[in-house]
Amino acid sequence: MKKPRILYVDDEPLNLLLLKANLSKQYEVLTAPDGIAGLEVLKNNRDIKVVFSDMKMPHMSGIEFIRQATALAPENHYYIVTGFDINAEIQKALDEGLIRKYFSKPFNPDEIANEIRHSLQIS
Amino acid sequence: MIKKIRFEYILTAAYLLVGGLWIIFSDYLLNVVISNPETITRMQTYKGWFYVAVTGLFFFILLRKHLHKLRETETELQQHRDNLHEMVVEKTRKLDKIVEELSLKNSTIKQQNEDLKHVLENLNSMQSQLIQAEKMASIGVLTAGIAHEINNPLNYILGGLTGLENYFKEENIQLENTDFFLKSIRTGIERVNAIVSGLNKMSRNNTTLEENCDLNEIIGNCLMILSNELKYRIHVEEQYAEPPIIIQGNVGKLHQVFINILMNASQAIPKEGQIRIRTFNTGTAAVTEITDTGSGIDEVDLSKITEPFFTTKDPGKGTGLGLSITYNIIKEHKGEMHFSSLPGKGTTVTVELPIKITHYEKAQNFVR
Repeated sequence: MKKPRILYVDDEPLNLLLLKANLSKQYEVLTAPDGIAGLEVLKNNRDIKVVFSDMKMPHMSGIEFIRQATALAPENHYYIVTGFDINAEIQKALDEGLIRKYFSKPFNPDEIANEIRHSLQIS
Repeated sequence: MIKKIRFEYILTAAYLLVGGLWIIFSDYLLNVVISNPETITRMQTYKGWFYVAVTGLFFFILLRKHLHKLRETETELQQHRDNLHEMVVEKTRKLDKIVEELSLKNSTIKQQNEDLKHVLENLNSMQSQLIQAEKMASIGVLTAGIAHEINNPLNYILGGLTGLENYFKEENIQLENTDFFLKSIRTGIERVNAIVSGLNKMSRNNTTLEENCDLNEIIGNCLMILSNELKYRIHVEEQYAEPPIIIQGNVGKLHQVFINILMNASQAIPKEGQIRIRTFNTGTAAVTEITDTGSGIDEVDLSKITEPFFTTKDPGKGTGLGLSITYNIIKEHKGEMHFSSLPGKGTTVTVELPIKITHYEKAQNFVR
């Protein structure tokens, strides 16, 4: 069976590589260094159902990226992964249902894997 | 110098002269005109009546004129005297008024001086408050930036560690030899993470009062931030409510409350001592008691300690704003703060926070 594909957008390459490696057994993690590249990946891979994004990135913020991605693929589940504390922008996105949850860095890759499994089950 | 001859002398002299001349000339004229002695006697009587009548009329007119003038002068004089009295009274009144106004002005100026002194003091304190606030704001921005910069490499370490752990497990590499090392790394990550997220929460920069605040966690965070201040000097005894009390409020501001109270407790203990922390749930309120074995607060100061700028610390050591800010934050949360203190023995600060602010406010709105 083909591994489900997910997208992780972060401007720190090491974060991308580590999540990719840690989840490699269960999932194929596609990555993008910023929102613009992330939108490209989503356009070309319609099978992606779960998307994680960093908050502070060049060109556009994580929330900005997820807003545009939601317009492109409204059924997907979106998550924020941030090294900052929760702020008003993230809280608003949570309240609006734009994102399902936010994770603080450092995050446990196993927790992310659990969330993906749960997310794929209900979608 | 020739003295001016007085009126009464002139009048008397004139009267004597005219009378004498009248007697001499009229008698002479009568003797010339009339020869009958009987007629002369009768005429002389008439002449006497005539003289009396003329001089009487003359004196009447003269006296009346003269007295009239005198009376007028007297009236005028009286009027002047009255006026003068009135003027003096009036002037005195005016002077009194001016004196009164001047003394009023004087006391106003004194008051203004006092006020200005007060304003200046306030300005000085305000300036240090602003500097303090500015510092806090900068620290907030700095903390958020540093947290972000630390959290990313921390994420590499945790990601790498998780990868290693999974690899060792799968490859069945002697776990008992590596377990200790891996656990050490994990403990280190957890400790750093706790510090960074604690700092982050403390300097959180939002104004909402609707965050879920875990009181036990907040106090624990504050103790961690103050650990350097307390370590080896103060024994901290913690007795937290179970299950943890979650109240509605502002996480960052509640951190400020407990940091201030704990900092005061620590500073009140000159050498070594104890701080006892107890939290409990009354059903409607979360109560926190913080007791120190410090120097205590004098009874006279007890009512003043939440006033802005009140401090017993040395100049430069305290702004007198800590408890005032703390008190305001607690008021904002619709809570209460009480102090009980024995000088020389220590102080207990009790903070009562309602578990849900919104319920209270909704009820208030309903009443309105």
